[in-house]
Amino acid sequence: MEPLHLNRRFLLLAGVALALPVPALAADRPSPEVVVLQWYRLILELIRHTATYSPPVASRAFAYLGVALWEAVASARGLTSLAGQANGLTPLPAAPGAVDEAALVHATLSIATAQLFANTGPTGQRAMTAMTDKLGAKVTDGLDAALAADSAAHGVAIVAHILAWAETDGGSTVENMGFPRQWTPGGKPSSWVPTSAIRLQQTPLLPDWGQNRPFSLTGDLPCGLPSHPEYSEDPASAFYAEAVEVHEISKTLTDEQKLIARFWSDDPMLSPTPPGHWVSILTEISARDALPLDRMADALVRLGMAVADAFIVCWRVKLEYDLLRPITYIRRLIEPKWEPLLNTPPFPEYPSGHSTQSGAASSVLEAIFGPNFAFEDATHEADGLPVRSFPSFSAAAEEAGISRLYGGIHFRAAIDNGISQGECVAEFVNRMKTL
Amino acid sequence: MKKLVLLAFASPAFAEGPAEGPVISQFVEEAETAGFAHSFSGEWEFVVGGGAAVFDCSGDGLPEVFMAGGTNAAVLFLNESSETLAFRKATGSGLEIDMVSGGYPLDIDADGVTDLAILRVGEARLMRGLGDCKFTDASADWGFGARDLWHTAFAATWEKGADWPTLAFGSYIDRAQEEFPWGNCTENLLYREESGSFRTPVHLAPSFCTLSLLFTDWNRSGTPALRVSNDREYYKGGQEQLWHVDPGTEPRPYTEAEGWQSLRIWGMGIASRDLNDDGYPEYFLTSMADNKLQVLTTPGPEAKPQYADEAFKRGVTAHQPYTGDDLRPSTAWHAQFEDVNNDGYADLFIVKGNVWAMPDFAQADPNNLFLGQEEGTFVEVGDKAGVASMLQGRGGALADLNGDGRVDMLVVNRNGPAQVWRNAGPVGNWVAIKALMQGANRDAVNAWVEVRTGDRTQRQEVLVGGGQAGGVLMPLHFGLGSAENAEARVIWPDGVTSDWVVVTLGQINMVER
Repeated sequence: MEPLHLNRRFLLLAGVALALPVPALAADRPSPEVVVLQWYRLILELIRHTATYSPPVASRAFAYLGVALWEAVASARGLTSLAGQANGLTPLPAAPGAVDEAALVHATLSIATAQLFANTGPTGQRAMTAMTDKLGAKVTDGLDAALAADSAAHGVAIVAHILAWAETDGGSTVENMGFPRQWTPGGKPSSWVPTSAIRLQQTPLLPDWGQNRPFSLTGDLPCGLPSHPEYSEDPASAFYAEAVEVHEISKTLTDEQKLIARFWSDDPMLSPTPPGHWVSILTEISARDALPLDRMADALVRLGMAVADAFIVCWRVKLEYDLLRPITYIRRLIEPKWEPLLNTPPFPEYPSGHSTQSGAASSVLEAIFGPNFAFEDATHEADGLPVRSFPSFSAAAEEAGISRLYGGIHFRAAIDNGISQGECVAEFVNRMKTL
Repeated sequence: MKKLVLLAFASPAFAEGPAEGPVISQFVEEAETAGFAHSFSGEWEFVVGGGAAVFDCSGDGLPEVFMAGGTNAAVLFLNESSETLAFRKATGSGLEIDMVSGGYPLDIDADGVTDLAILRVGEARLMRGLGDCKFTDASADWGFGARDLWHTAFAATWEKGADWPTLAFGSYIDRAQEEFPWGNCTENLLYREESGSFRTPVHLAPSFCTLSLLFTDWNRSGTPALRVSNDREYYKGGQEQLWHVDPGTEPRPYTEAEGWQSLRIWGMGIASRDLNDDGYPEYFLTSMADNKLQVLTTPGPEAKPQYADEAFKRGVTAHQPYTGDDLRPSTAWHAQFEDVNNDGYADLFIVKGNVWAMPDFAQADPNNLFLGQEEGTFVEVGDKAGVASMLQGRGGALADLNGDGRVDMLVVNRNGPAQVWRNAGPVGNWVAIKALMQGANRDAVNAWVEVRTGDRTQRQEVLVGGGQAGGVLMPLHFGLGSAENAEARVIWPDGVTSDWVVVTLGQINMVER
């Protein structure tokens, strides 16, 4: 792990703050790092419990939360802003003369969360209010009132700037839980068709998501990917062989394979979603390793932008290829009553969204923490799934990808090429300057 | 020893409806003229609940209505209906209780007077019926050690050989958890009696933030199991549940190895009816957006608890408003099957209402009335029937409130006025059957009542539980369409089957044992 990076401006500001004639700060006053982790714990719950937060929508929220947090920290410490780097982000308001970082990040995250999750239910609203009030009281306990107010005001200004920018990206409005009311099927044998008996899911989720403005990707949306094997119903074809692989594995799944499928299932409204799974991994690492604020914020914003851009390019390609799911093909040609282990997501198959975003997530995390960074993943412990250990981020991404084959919801090409697509996305994020 | 007794409230049979499509009963809202003024009120702790208990405590054969009040006092409406609906708010009934979320009628002590199990945000209560619509808190007398929980669900059965009922109370969330309520489901409890007193309850662990419970003989084994519908908004690692509750043994949930299939929904209410006349009940589970209609996949003595969701196939997903401009997904609460147009096919009533300012879901969310059809599908007629209320519904009930043979409707709305509709018909032939036993379990809970017309047999299970925090304890209503003759029998809870007896149409027929 790299050493904590402190620049001259941070030291100066810290000095100013310490020089103020303020009452003694409360002994149990939370550090800014604790404030960030507390808010992200709540955000992961809000992702799970807000009905519109399907994986693409969740990825967008993590990106904007990360940018808001980064810009707050960067402005306080004189670090490099993403303005001019992230597409369409203009220079942000400058910090006042002195800020308290805990008060600043608390204000930033409380306001950004409240606005990004304005559509959550009464329990989420109650939780956000309680967190804002209770954590806010601890943060300002003993803090000079003027400094607290200035810090909070700066957080407000940053969030206002970020969310005004967010309004123009194409993804700010999600209706009918992301399912369009009208949809014209592709009509070809290879075309995606609905796979569930859920009435709401008879159209594909968020078919226009691929048109959203990305954070890091530049040019004519890069990171396309090679075609899947040509669609064919010939038993000798490569496409048929992929279906046979999914079918045969489903018949011989080991307990470990079933566990892997469920561990990475990350169903919306029953988990923090795939983007939240990676954020959960990062926050666990942050807590375990007592990551300092600037490194935590840097990792959170890079991860957030990477998964968000991964979903954008993935969704654009998904709708272009418009490929049917294994359950449709296998029932049509191999076993009419075949049931996969997992529920099939309601959108086209190629590539695998989880694979793409896991490829992106693992690549940015490896760039930050190194290639052989071992960690434990307790994301689903409260849901009764065990903690899993991984020797590296890429190993976790590989497992996330193959889990979709075990679950019977993706062909292999969607997984392999999806991970490659995500790695391509990560290169753009990794080129951005922060610390 | 079985006998058939005819009760009053005859009404003439009505002519058959149009040849095409089901007959659409017309409902007339009469809350204002009927004196049916009440509101279930409250904020976060009363986002769920709002149940109604419908039962006859005056002995006149017309059902009274008990309604939860939340932060208002609960209310008992005495039924003074004739042709039109008329109610009078009871005073001094003993049921003017605060923090009530729901209630279910049952005769706990087998004295022939219906009692009430009261769900509260706080300690639940068992209210003993004293007659003449008076009640007293018998919780202590009956050894009912209630706990301070957010009570949300109830069901009861009489286990084989038991003189007293076994009671299941469902609860929701730890109210003390403000920032992180998720994953903090509180305990569901099973109370069994011993020597005239309820023992320390058994924790039905794991509990998953339950909003509806129902003892039901799903496989016709003669031993009801406990169906549990849970709200996935709050549990972690949870799912819908089915519990073995076998006499003399500890309750245990059905497992995957026994065929139970994981289903995770915003479970809010359970309705049950044998819709396909195969002798096994189907279950309608309310949720948000799509709802579920579960049909047993392999009915028979060796049936596993595996269900196919046929809501889409049969037209009852009820996933979004069917009228009005608000097309956001729906939120469903109470559900109940009854034959409102007496055509012989059970209809489905669903109470709808936004949880509380949830912008992703419809605010103007009309209640549903689906009419059942011969081929097993349903057609929505809520707007045509006049019951498409857009208020924030929670509990409700279908029951013949004025004894005219037409099933009426009431809805408990959150932070809004309760509503009641008189079914103005038209009405086909019908019969109501009351199964009555001597001694324990007087209302024959978990008996099956069968009505035969020609070569068709309709069946209903006598139930205490399900719905959204409330239920009906009245004679079972069967629509008969154009049939002019019918027979009935009762399969009693112990499996003994009564003889078929000819019943008189247009009346309540009592089958005693």
